[in-house]
Amino acid sequence: MKTNWRPKLGDKFIRRPRAKAHPLRRAIGSFGLFSAGYGNVGSSIYYALGLVALIALGATPIVLLIAGIFFIFTALSYAEGTAMMPEAGGSASFARRGFNDLFGSITGWALAFSYIVTIAISSYTAPAYLGYFWQPLTEPVTGTLAAMGIIFFLMCLNIIGVKQSSILNTFFALLDVITQIIIILLAILFIFAPHPEIFSHNVIGNWPSASGLILGIAIATLAYTGVETVSQLSEEARHPAITAPRALILLIAVVMILFSGISVAAFSTMTPTEMALEWARDPIAGIAYGLSIAIVPEEIATGLSSSPAGIIVITAFFGGILKLLPILVAVLATSILIIATNAGLMGISRLTFSLGRFQLIPLLFSRVHHKFETPYRAIILFSSVAILLLIPGFFKPETFVILGGLYVFGSLLAFSLAHASILRLRIRHPELSRPFKLRLNIKIKGYELPVTAILGLVFSSAIWLTIVTTQPYARWVGLGWMALGLITYLVFRHRKKLPLIRVAPEAKLPVD
Amino acid sequence: MMMEIKSILVPTNGGGADEEVIKLACSLARRSKAKVYAVYIIEVERSLSLDTQVDSDTKKAEKILTQAEDAAADADYEIETDLLQARDAGPAIVNEAVERGVDLIIMATTYEKAHGVPELGKAVYYVLKEAPCRVLVYRDSIS
Repeated sequence: MKTNWRPKLGDKFIRRPRAKAHPLRRAIGSFGLFSAGYGNVGSSIYYALGLVALIALGATPIVLLIAGIFFIFTALSYAEGTAMMPEAGGSASFARRGFNDLFGSITGWALAFSYIVTIAISSYTAPAYLGYFWQPLTEPVTGTLAAMGIIFFLMCLNIIGVKQSSILNTFFALLDVITQIIIILLAILFIFAPHPEIFSHNVIGNWPSASGLILGIAIATLAYTGVETVSQLSEEARHPAITAPRALILLIAVVMILFSGISVAAFSTMTPTEMALEWARDPIAGIAYGLSIAIVPEEIATGLSSSPAGIIVITAFFGGILKLLPILVAVLATSILIIATNAGLMGISRLTFSLGRFQLIPLLFSRVHHKFETPYRAIILFSSVAILLLIPGFFKPETFVILGGLYVFGSLLAFSLAHASILRLRIRHPELSRPFKLRLNIKIKGYELPVTAILGLVFSSAIWLTIVTTQPYARWVGLGWMALGLITYLVFRHRKKLPLIRVAPEAKLPVD
Repeated sequence: MMMEIKSILVPTNGGGADEEVIKLACSLARRSKAKVYAVYIIEVERSLSLDTQVDSDTKKAEKILTQAEDAAADADYEIETDLLQARDAGPAIVNEAVERGVDLIIMATTYEKAHGVPELGKAVYYVLKEAPCRVLVYRDSIS
């Protein structure tokens, strides 16, 4: 429709955000949010354990525990922020409201970076687990090509706009939790309990240097990244003020129990050196393999029953489980990692919509395809960056460590800004309704500040600085990305004659 | 010749005809899988800043737009809803229609007489006069 109609000089209009105005339906409950969050956080253990073992050696269970405590602080800050602002921008929305648009943009670019690396690292690890069925997938060239293929395939799916089923997420989350519980129970009952000295020898006998321990804690935070997913999805959740905090608390409990159990299982079945050298990319497959070697079904059967029939039945039962376990782990880990790759792509789509809506990134990134209604430009651009990040995988075996450093760089910067925003919101907007308000507050100049957010801020900033100072690749690629983001933001706002720091009005997303 | 419709704008006002208008828009849109946008405009008094958020107005607007969504859900069609603030509803409706490039505006109205003269409402007159696209005015039955 072509027209010359223009509003008259005095005609001004404001578009107001409304709780139900977006096309996203509020249909997800607490468990749906938990499943999506677990799909992202839970998938991390499939690669983080091996990566942490490479650096922290025997101290892996300890550094995972320390990083886990930090994860609790982060999840709690996200619970307060998400209940206040159930928006797809996640911590970028907290930063925008707590500080200003400049901080919102910085947080948004950090988040986008962590999503890109999620895509790269999850896709890079999936072929290693599939190597159980076809050995060449564990080779650098074939594995990297397969990872690039996974990203390309998912990029096409996300451009077309295939919806990820919440039921599928829940199914895989449940199957994953059950499989990990089986692994933990088998390891604790039949290896750890009768021979606790194996675990303690593997831990104490392979203690890392002080620098290895510190870097190990930094890299261990990788295992807990993905908490942002719950925050992002809250825009589609029923009663997000209630369901989001519930999902986050459930996530804390499940993840802490499983990760502790898995790290005990890991060093009950193999040494840290074995894990670092042979199973770095597929540590859970290593545990399943270790269990199938270490547990002898006949021994369990004779211990449990004295009748010949009982021995045969129990032997067949445990023999079946131990044979099935490596196959189940290979299939499940690949599925979970592909879902995590897809979650990264979906995260980018949602984040781009949100950042574009608040004019924190140029609108050309958020441009929606007229037919598929997806931000195809952002999906293609960010998927391409993820594919580029995998290129060293052809030549360098340490690509895995590089990707881990990059992931921690993006996530920890976003977490630091999230904690800072929660504190700033307490000072700037104490009057705002907080359906989930953090307890354990200290009063400074009359303002109630949550201790967990303060500790979270200090911890995440310290870890981020550790990565920046010790990992040159993460430092230059990460800082380069942030500089690019900042320049893009400043040029965009200047050209649009929008304030550089103050909050700009919402924009309508353009359609191609 | 049937006109091809790609998108329809339905300004809502909380009147009794809103539900029927939304359902009518959905049935027209279904043939060509067109988009339906329902919009509610909060008219802000000139004594207040345009971005002032009056709680009672917001609640009313949210309720009306939710009812519009429910009406569309009854018709098994998905619509987008928007909440705008303006000094006058008429220019805001036309601006929205132009920005979204809609092919048709469907407006509900009541037939009232002011001083013996039929009165359709200021916004309807403005839209009829200024909107560059087709406009369908829908009057509910008097009973």
